[in-house]
Order: sequence, then C-alpha cells, then structure tokens
Amino acid sequence: MRLPASYPMALLAALITLTPVFILITLASDASSFFDSHHLTILGNTLSLMLLTVLGSILIGVPLAFISAYVVLPFKKFWLVFFAAPLAIPSYIGAFTLYAAFGTGGEIHNLLGIELPAMDGLSGAAIVMTLYTFPFVMMTTRSALLSLDASMVNAARTLGMSMTQSVFKVILPRVVNGIAAGSLLVALYTLSDFGTPAMMRLDTFTRVIYVEYNAFDLSRAAMLSLQLMVIVGFLLLIESQIKTASERHGRPLILFPKKWQLAAMFATFAPVLLLAIGLPLAIFALWLARDGLSSFDFSIAWHSAYASAIAAVVAVIVAIPVAHAALTGKAGRVMERVTYFGFGIPGIVMGTALVYGGLQLPFLYQTLGLLIIAYMLRFLPLAVGSVRTSTEHLDPSLVNSARVLGASPREAFTRITLPLTMRGIVAGAALVFLESMRELEATLLLGPTGFETLSTYLWRVYEAGYFGRAAIPGLLLVVISACGLAIMMSGEKRQQLDH
Amino acid sequence: MERRTFIQGLAAMGAMGALPLSLSQAFAATVANPVSVEDLPKLKGALTLYLGRGEGGLYEDVLKAIEKRNPDLKLAIRRGPTAALANTIVAEAKAGIRRSDLFWAVDSGAIGLVSDAGLAQPMPSDLAAQLQPQFRYKDWAPVTGRVRTLPFNTARLTKEQIPTSIMDIADSDLSIGWAPAYSSFQSFVTAMRLLEGDDKTVKWLKKTKQRAKTYAGELGVVMAVERGEVDIGFANHYYTLRLKSGKPDAKLDLAFTEQDAGCLVNASGILALNPDPLATNFMRYLLSTQVQSYLAQEAYEIPLVNGVAQPEGLPSLAAISPPKIDLTQLADLRPTIDLMRNSGVL
Repeated sequence: MRLPASYPMALLAALITLTPVFILITLASDASSFFDSHHLTILGNTLSLMLLTVLGSILIGVPLAFISAYVVLPFKKFWLVFFAAPLAIPSYIGAFTLYAAFGTGGEIHNLLGIELPAMDGLSGAAIVMTLYTFPFVMMTTRSALLSLDASMVNAARTLGMSMTQSVFKVILPRVVNGIAAGSLLVALYTLSDFGTPAMMRLDTFTRVIYVEYNAFDLSRAAMLSLQLMVIVGFLLLIESQIKTASERHGRPLILFPKKWQLAAMFATFAPVLLLAIGLPLAIFALWLARDGLSSFDFSIAWHSAYASAIAAVVAVIVAIPVAHAALTGKAGRVMERVTYFGFGIPGIVMGTALVYGGLQLPFLYQTLGLLIIAYMLRFLPLAVGSVRTSTEHLDPSLVNSARVLGASPREAFTRITLPLTMRGIVAGAALVFLESMRELEATLLLGPTGFETLSTYLWRVYEAGYFGRAAIPGLLLVVISACGLAIMMSGEKRQQLDH
Repeated sequence: MERRTFIQGLAAMGAMGALPLSLSQAFAATVANPVSVEDLPKLKGALTLYLGRGEGGLYEDVLKAIEKRNPDLKLAIRRGPTAALANTIVAEAKAGIRRSDLFWAVDSGAIGLVSDAGLAQPMPSDLAAQLQPQFRYKDWAPVTGRVRTLPFNTARLTKEQIPTSIMDIADSDLSIGWAPAYSSFQSFVTAMRLLEGDDKTVKWLKKTKQRAKTYAGELGVVMAVERGEVDIGFANHYYTLRLKSGKPDAKLDLAFTEQDAGCLVNASGILALNPDPLATNFMRYLLSTQVQSYLAQEAYEIPLVNGVAQPEGLPSLAAISPPKIDLTQLADLRPTIDLMRNSGVL
C-alpha cells in the first residue's frame, strides 16, 4: 500500500513540534538541583493562582452561561458578544491597566480621589485572570446548556420541584462536563500566562523562568519549564478524558425574567464587565488624552503585522498536509495530535528552548526566521483545527467524481478540494496572524535586534514606568484581538449551523 | 592607575568645585579637553548596540541625535535588562557567536562581567585621555556617574528618622520600595556582599523583603515614594532629581547612608566587542561635550569629562561618604544574582 502523500510533511511537522521538548530535556540535565524549597513556593503560587482563577471563572461564567442560554433578554445577541468580549483583551493588557488604575496614587485615586487597595500579588493576579478567562467557562457551559432538552425541567417542575431546585438537581448535573471543559481551558491559560503574574509580581513558574532566563541560567529555566510542562501534560490528559454528553437534542428552556430579576442580573454582572472591558479602555483613553499620539513609532505596528503575516502563511502551509494526514489514517491522526503539543507549551518555555536552539544553530539565532518558527509551533493547532474542520465537511464523492472524469489527483486537489476548503484555510491563517500579533513572551526572548513589536513595546513601557506611552499599542492590540475573537465566534456559529 | 578608585575621583571633583578657578584648571590640565561632536569622525556603516534599558527616553534621545548627525550609520539596538544582556553576550561568545558591536550598560558590574570574560576590545589611548585619570580603564569607558541614595517622602519622615547605616534599615519599621531586577540595585547588593559578606547580605535581603514592595524599575520606586505608597526607596540619585525637576513641590528628598553599600558610587559604561574602529568612534560620541552636558542637564547624571557642569540639585559630593569599592570589583555579579534568586528576591 502506498503511503498518503501528506504523511512525510505531517511527520516532519510533528517532529519539529517535539524539538523544544528535547532541547529542554537536554538543558535540564545540566541543572544543579531538581527541586528546592524555593520551587515549592513557586509551585504553591502557581497552583493557588490556577485554582482561584478556575473558581472565579466558574462563579461568573456559569450564571452568565445560564442567562445567555435560557433567559429572554432584549438585544440577546449583543449581550452574548458583550459577555465574551473580555477574550478580546490580552490578559497582560488587563493586568497592566488594572495595576495602574488601583492602589494609592493609581489613576483612580488621582482622578476621583478614591483610594482603592492595590491590585497585585496573588489576589490581584487571580482577579485579573478571572476577568479575562471566565468567557471560556461561559461558552462551553452555554453550548452544553443549549443541548439539553427542556422537557426534563418541565417534568421536574410539574412534579413539584421549585425552579432553584431543578437548576441544581436537573440542569447542572448534566452540564458538569461542559463546565469542566471550560475550567480546564482556564487552568491551561492561567498556567501558561506570563504577563499577568509578572506585572502582579507573583512568583509563578512563568515569571521565575523569565528571571532565570535573564540570569542566563538556561538549565535552571529548563528545569522549571519541564516541571510546568508536567502540570500542563496532566491537565491535557484530564481533558482528553472528558466526554461531552451526547443527549438527544430538544427544545432548550426559555425563561422570561421579571423586571427586578433583570435588574438584579444587571447589578451583579455589570461591574464585572465594566472592570474587565470598561476600565482598560478608559485608562488608555486617559493616557491618550494626556500624552497624545506623538510618541508612538508606527513602524512597531508594522513589525508586528509583518512577522505575524509570515507566521500565518507558514502555519497554513504546514497545516494543510497535517490536516489531510489526520483525515487519511490512524498514523496521520497521531501526527496531528503531536502537533497539538505546541499549543500546550507556554510561550516563555518555547522562547527559552529556542534561544538555546538558536545558540547551537547560529544561522537562526536572533533571526526573524526563529521567531516565526516559534509562532508557527505555538499556533499551528489553530490552523490545523480550522483547516481540518472545513476539509471534514467536504463530501468525498466530489473528489471521486472528478477522478472518474479523468482529473489527476493534483487537478482534483487544486480544482475541488482547495476552493472548497479555502474558507477554513483563510480563517486558520487569520487566527494564527492575530494570536501572533498579541504574543508577548516568546517575542520578548526571540525577537531580532531592533525588532520591537506592539506587545514587546508595551512590556518595555511597563518596565520603564512610562505608562502613558502604552495607550496606542494597547488600543491597537485590543482591536486586533477583537477581530480574532470575531473570526473565532463566527467559525463556531458556522459549525453549529452545519450540525 | 586602573585600580585607583572611582570614588576618590568623584570626591576630587566635588572638592574641585570649591577650589579657586585657576587652581582647578591647573589640576585639570593633564586631562584632554572633551571633544565637540563637530570634530568627531562621521560614522559610516552598520553597528549593533546592546542597550541595557532603565533610562527611559533619555538615552534614546542621545542615540537618535547621533543617528541624525550620521545618516550613513545603520544602528540596530537590542534592548533588555543590563544583566540579561551581559549574560547574553557571554553566552553568545561561548557558542562562538558575536552579534553585538557595542554594549552600553547602565551599571559597571555588567560591564565588568563582559570585560572579565575577555570579550572587550582595548580602548584607544586618546579616548581614555579624555576621562579623568581615575576613570581610565583598559577596555571600557565610563560614560556617567551615579550615586545610590535613599529617596524618602518628606510628608511622612524627616531625614533624621532614617538610619545612616544601610544594614540598620532592615531592622527599622520603615516601609520600603525597591527594584531588585534593576542592575544598579544588583551592583549595590554586590557591594554589600563585598563589604559585609554573603551571610549578612542574605539575612539583610530576607529581612528587608518582608517590608519591601517590588517595582519594575527605580523610576517606579521613586514615584511610589513620592505618592506615599512607601516611606523610603533604594534608587540611583537621578530619578529623584528628574522627578523633582518636573514636579518642584514633590514631597521627596534624598538621604544618604554613610560608608556602606547604601551610598555606592557607580558608573554607566560602554565597551566595544568589535575591533572595527567604527565601534570605538561611536564611543567617542558618548564622551563628547554635547552628550555629556545633555546627560548632566536632562538626565541629572554625573558627567565624567572635563568642563561639563554637574547636574543641579545633587548634594555636594564631598558631603557623601561612599564605601571604598573599586568599580571593577562589581563585576562579581553572578554570585549576587544566585544569592538574590535563592533568597526569593528576584
């Protein structure tokens, strides 16, 4: 039997994805100590931040999912977008602005004279991470809620259960998996985030890896990276075990709220969204008014766009054979799963591994090429997922008919498969582009000399204390992320329509 | 000549200001006069500069001015924490790579780290001759001087309430702002290690940590002191002077400890990694009259060439009693970083 043509490329992609891990293992073998008491503090901080963030996201995300799925609201679509909007703000931007707004002498104190406690440490980091990750829980829970049949609740109500009782006894037990899936996303995101704990000055793995990197003790950075990867791997393992319930679809529940109930909902969740979205935008507007446009060098935005565009093209070129391989055979599926690994590698870990890799391969060191490889490795799964979904839905009989009518495999691909999957390819490329634009930590470590991007510029502004200069790059990043979110959500809607 | 201490040099300069003009000129006669940028060779070609950040916009302004004057110069700048860049240069050399032609550090400890690794190119003698004899080194040029200070909030404290020994500050009940990731702070810790030993330094770090609030940079520290978030801070002198120049009514003043690491005198410096004369010619620009006066007037740093006025508002250097530490000793940076890391301060 001949092997599918996409296999060699997919195998190559899978092997490249694994190289950072090999590099880390080699590096870590030089480390003087495997674990000391300081590591225990780091582990404690990391896990506390993760658990608090997951808890916070459930407390906010699940009720919002319930409201957006079942409750009849005026402007329903608008609310859904609004609830998901915190995803459009990279968490390091949230951390930056909230840090600047709160505390003695913070912007709120200066402007309104109200002295609020400072936003930093474990509590600050947990609040920020919760504000920007709860939509993950909301979205997974919401889609689980929508798949439930309302007749169960109706039956429970008929048999005398109160609404509150039936929420806890009939509805929630059936969406536990949905909540768990969202919580895992939150946990993974929190583990790999660097900007928030760094700005909130909480010693988590990612922050300490950066400190070790700055001291250029790469073997210690690698050791910490591997420890972090163990936790990530453990979560990924749990994730693969969670199965979303497949109930028979029915009509979802519809609830008509009373006026006071609407008011109560609004009073509870408006502050959350105001804090997550309103405050950062207000702070940027304030800085913009104070410092003006003059200080920003727009070539920085061009750098970001340029590097991200190349990364997007490269990622899609690699993603097509990987997605194809995944659909052709078992071995191909394994290769595809392996490329997903890159998504779980935190940016700071990827950066550390590739800096060392670059030092061994001087022709790559400090080049744009190495940065693009980093982007590609981290975000390839986004492109693969998007390409694969569009290919999956392609009716194979179309290709077969073309072949019967005498088209060569190549012609069938260029004239049938490619045009029909173009949408998925473009969406995948766009996702990689937008994620690369907002990437901070790997860019910080790997960017070529003189190659400042929006996110690294924001970081330097934060470090130097010239906060006012963050306004334009910050706003640009928010707009870019918003576009990414729009693409992702419209893709999801298409999927729902397809089913 | 090289081992002569930097502090003696600065003290002499401070004293010089008090001398009759003719006498101070006679004393200065052995030093070549600083060169105006008008008389410097034009820079042509590509240079990569590793720039230890920390100075905000002011070093950028100097670099932009140099680029503007030399349109044929293609300058690529890599920014990062000073210690990280020094470590990068050493790691690159180990791997047989050299990416930077020049290294401009805000702190001589990081410079020493690179120089000790034997990576710095020798200084041309005529360039060294422009510096005061006390500041001549064989393979790097100090650019400006700075003093470690204790900025304090005048609404909350008087100068008398601040201990005059840095070691006593750990036992005081003052709240403190610091920026351990900043390389000048790390050199201060190196000085403490050399003066008091590792054990005492670790104890001091751990004790101080309990009452210290960490900031990303020392501008942040001084701003926090000014708005009363903390009582005192550890920072280079110029941050306070800059903040006060922009906000004359700021509730902020400088205190100094006596003869210990707390009032260490340090210098920013530049070295060439590339033997190409273009790199050393670039260094000449930083020692020019114009750049030195700009850094003194705008950045409140201490100029190290002849005939450039000291920044306003800096207390007479004769009134400060810095510890006896030679700048080259500060190169012992790696044990400092290990020690800070192990105390959980970094």
